[in-house]
Order: sequence, then C-alpha cells, then structure tokens
Amino acid sequence: MKTALLPAMSTYPRLRRFVIDVAITWVFNTVIALLITFVMRIHSSFYINFVISMCIGTLMVTIIDGGRLLLWGLEKPPRIPFLVLFAASLPASQYLGNGIASWLLDIPRENFEAVRANNVVGFLVLFVIVCGGITWFFWNRSLVEHFKAEAAGEKARAAAIEKQALQAQLQMLQAQIEPHMLFNTLANLQGLIAVDAARAQHMLDQLIQYLRATLASSRSEQTSLAHEFSLMDAYLGLMQVRMGSRLSYHLQLPDEMHGLNIPPMLLQPLVENAIKHGVEPKVGGGRIEVEALREQNMLVLRVRDTGLGLGATPADQRSTRLGVANTRERLRALYGEAATFFLGPNVPCGAIAELRIPL
Amino acid sequence: MTPLRALIAEDEPILAYTLQQTLQRLWPELQVCGVVDNGASAVQEALAQKPDVLFLDIKMPGKTGLEAAHELAEDWSDEGHFPLVVFVTAYDEYALQAFEQAAADYVLKPISDARLGKTVERLKARLQQHAERDAELERIVGQLRSLVPGMPVASERLSMIRAAVGNQIRLIPVNEVLYFEATDKYVNVVTAESESLIRTSLKELLPQLDGSQFWQVHRGTVVNAHCIQSAIRDESGKLSLKLKNHEQMLPVSRVYAHLFKQM
Repeated sequence: MKTALLPAMSTYPRLRRFVIDVAITWVFNTVIALLITFVMRIHSSFYINFVISMCIGTLMVTIIDGGRLLLWGLEKPPRIPFLVLFAASLPASQYLGNGIASWLLDIPRENFEAVRANNVVGFLVLFVIVCGGITWFFWNRSLVEHFKAEAAGEKARAAAIEKQALQAQLQMLQAQIEPHMLFNTLANLQGLIAVDAARAQHMLDQLIQYLRATLASSRSEQTSLAHEFSLMDAYLGLMQVRMGSRLSYHLQLPDEMHGLNIPPMLLQPLVENAIKHGVEPKVGGGRIEVEALREQNMLVLRVRDTGLGLGATPADQRSTRLGVANTRERLRALYGEAATFFLGPNVPCGAIAELRIPL
Repeated sequence: MTPLRALIAEDEPILAYTLQQTLQRLWPELQVCGVVDNGASAVQEALAQKPDVLFLDIKMPGKTGLEAAHELAEDWSDEGHFPLVVFVTAYDEYALQAFEQAAADYVLKPISDARLGKTVERLKARLQQHAERDAELERIVGQLRSLVPGMPVASERLSMIRAAVGNQIRLIPVNEVLYFEATDKYVNVVTAESESLIRTSLKELLPQLDGSQFWQVHRGTVVNAHCIQSAIRDESGKLSLKLKNHEQMLPVSRVYAHLFKQM
C-alpha cells in the first residue's frame, strides 16, 4: 500500500495533500476520543470512543477536504461554497459515522443516541470546541499557504522587473555605442591626426568623455543636469567634426539649474534621435537646439531639430515608435503619471521632443 | 591614353579628404574628378563625368550608396564603360563579403593604407582588362540583385487602393491595376480606365502587394504580371513590356531583366 502510494503522491499533489490532512485528522480524532473518555467520562472504554471518533472524523475530512480538493484543487477555496460544504458535512458525517461505528463495534445505534441525550451540554461544548479547533487549524494553514504563494509571486514579479531593467540597460548600451558611430568617429580621427593633430587630440578627448559617460551613466541612478549637458556637448561636438558644416547646434542650461539631478539616459536618446533620424539623413543637414528650463515645479527638457521630421521613412516610423514607447515606459516607471513626453513637428521643418519631469 | 578618373561620394568631409589624400599617395596617376556628399549628387555626377572608378559611401543622406549604384546602373547609357564601384562602409552590415570576389570591391572605415593598397591593385588589374570592363555593368547589376532586399512579408495585403480624386475617394480593386508608377512624391495607379495618384511611396506600397502577381521591373515601376502580354527587346538591347489592352510600353531596367529570360 505504502510503496504504491509514495510515487503516486509525488505525481498527484492533491492526493498528497489529502493523505496529510487525513493523518492530521486522525490525530484530532485520537485527542477527541481521549477527551470523551477521560474528561467527560462517557463510555468506560476508550476503544469504543476511539472507533466512533475515527469513523466520524475520517468521513468529515473525506467530505470537506476531499470535496475541496476535487472542486478547487490546491487553490484557496471560495468562502461561501466552502462553508456550505462544511455545514453539510457535519450532519452527514455524524449520521454515517455513527452507522459505520455501530456496525464495526456491533453496538446498536440507539445506545450512542441515548448516551448523547444524557450529556447534551457536554457534547455541545465538545462539538463547538472540536469544530472551532479544526476549522481554525485548517483555515490558518490555508492562509499561511496563501501568503506564501503571494510572497513567491511577489518575488517572481520583482525578479522579472529586475530582468527587464537589465535588458533595457543592455539594449540601451548597445544602441548607444553603435558600431557605425564608433568606427566613423575613429575614421575621422585617423584622418585628422595627419592634417590637424590639435583637433584630433580634442576629438579624441570628446570621444573618451562620451564613451565614459555613456558607460557610467547607464549604471548610475542619478546624474546632474550639468553632467548630462556636458555629455551632450561632447557627443554633438563629435558629430560636428564628422558632419562639418551640415550640423550646427546650441545647448542652453541656466546657471541655477546646473545642480539639478535627473536620471541618466533620458536626454541622450532624444539628442541622438535628432541626429540619427533628423539631421544626419537630411541632404543639407540642419540645426539642433537642446534646452532645459523650469516651468512652475516642472523641469522641461526640449530638443528641437530642423531635420527630416517625423516618420520620413517607414523604417524611421517604426524605430521612432519604439523609442517613444521606451521613453514613455521609463518615465512611467520613474515618475508614474507625473511626467509627460511629447514628440511633434517643428516649424518650419524637423521635430520637437519635450520631456516634463516633476522637480 | 586619357588619365584615369575617380569620383568620391562621402558625406563626412574629413573622411572624403582623407580618402582623396590616401589615393593620391597610393595611386598618383588616378585623378579625383569630384567629391560629393550625398547619393543623389553621386548619381548625377557619375552620369555627367563618367569616371573610371566610383567610391560610394553606403550610409549617405538622401540615398544610400547601394541605392545610388542601383539608380546609376539603370540610368547608365551604353556609351563608355560603367565605373568600377568600390563601396565604403563603417560597418559590415550588408554582408558585403559578396564583393570580395567580385568586380566591385568594398572597404571598411577606418580605411587602412594596406587595405586600400589592395583595392588599388585590384582596380588597376581590372582596368587593364578591356573585356572585363565590358562586363562591369552586368556584374554590378548581378550583385545589386543579390543585395536588393527580398520582398518583405506584409503584415496585411492590400485588396483595395483608395485614391483621392478631387473631393472624393475612389476605390480601385488591386487586381484591376495594370501598373504602379512612382512620380516625385506620389504613386500613379494606372488601370485600363483611369489614372489616379496616391500619396505614398513605392517603397511603402511594395510590401502590401502580392509579390507573385506584382513585379518590380524598374526602380519606379511595379507591374501586374497578369496584364503583361510580352517582353520586347529593341535593336539597342533595351527591354520593354507590352501590356494587354494598353498603349503605353513599360521599360524594364537591367536589374530586373532576368525576370523575362525564356524558360
């Protein structure tokens, strides 16, 4: 019996649970039989009380627990139907249990009834205590399990969020330092070294600053506006060496805002998009203006370009949509509903991207 | 013997200058006859100057180097040799190894002297074989064909074309379209009864059409294969399509001529 049960129990979690519950019930039954025999001193024999108690208790657990596991599995059962099942099981298990016990012990049923009639109060007290005890025990256990499951779910959610954040970080890094940017910049350096060593030196400094800041900022929580603007200056400076007269740019950060903290990588993608989708693919090039300003208690970061404008090509539309979705998602994660992101057309041409962040 | 001439198309001025300088050092007898900074100018200049060698940056504003080469191959008149094309790119994303054993070469930025030296040797050898040079155009056309991305799988097929005519929208069943013809910013939708303009580009339209029925036969033309009666080659070797019940003949460019080889 046992050998067959063990593998079956590991494959059927409900069966396993049922067997455990029956075992616990048998302990209860034994305690009840002892109470009836030695505290209430009814029926001289412990054996008789034990058999009756076993029959009633086992039936009860079979109806309540078996029914629950069959109907709702290991989930937390719905309260009302479960209570109905519980209430129905009491008279049923009493009546049937008594029947089985009388057949096993070869004692007529009426004898039980008579004994009970003589000790109504005692039995009533016992009944309340037993029912209360059993209910309290099982209810608590299911609560504990419910909390356990909830905690596990919470843990899984936290892990998933962390994984997403890591992936986003990686994607961002890959997107930031794309091979095109790097190799083109190196090619320009190579050319400059031969003709203008001083400019080459300056360009190399900017590249180092850009790479270091990009790598570092994707790991830090906060950065100052001054730092972010100097990073943008380095990036746009690099691009200007590469694009020559096709790119002009201007950065505007009021002195009193230098020390303000913002999360890294919010401003940078906007500026890079203005280059990548706006000015760089445009035959005549264009201008980029980056400014930070304070409006009431909001920090406004605005990137304006005079490039190709939004959705110049289907491929652009797709990547822009993705970029916008990413930015919005990030803002929601950081600020909930308090921050906004706007992307629209610039006049006479190009695009405007605007972030509003609560200070 | 006229001196050999090269045209450089590169949008980054320092890189264009550097390439020019390096070429001068490695190949003094080659004259750089022009430097342009976008794809459209590259095509114009190449058609005007007919250089022997054309250095094309892949990533350029307006038109990519690949698109420029494609257009040049279509618009090239048959006088004079087609230039030897060398693609220049910062990043090997186009599986450009295809060019390693081919007529045109490709070089990666930053360009090293050693690598460009190899390119120069290769070009010199090519330029001396006149027979080879005659086949240059065919060769680049073949390569372009392998590089032109296949038809992307459409998210949804168009069954009706909605074209604005005056203040109403005309609905045209796709099956009734004879051909689509790209104009500057629009596409002209030609049926047996009518012509209507739609405000979209051929590039955006293509993925929404059934590629087995609608064939691109030219940079600016997509034709309903069910309406083609025959393909006719004139004495100069140019291919055109005769459509059923339609006057207009449609030219087929070299890049798509293989569609009309007999079985």
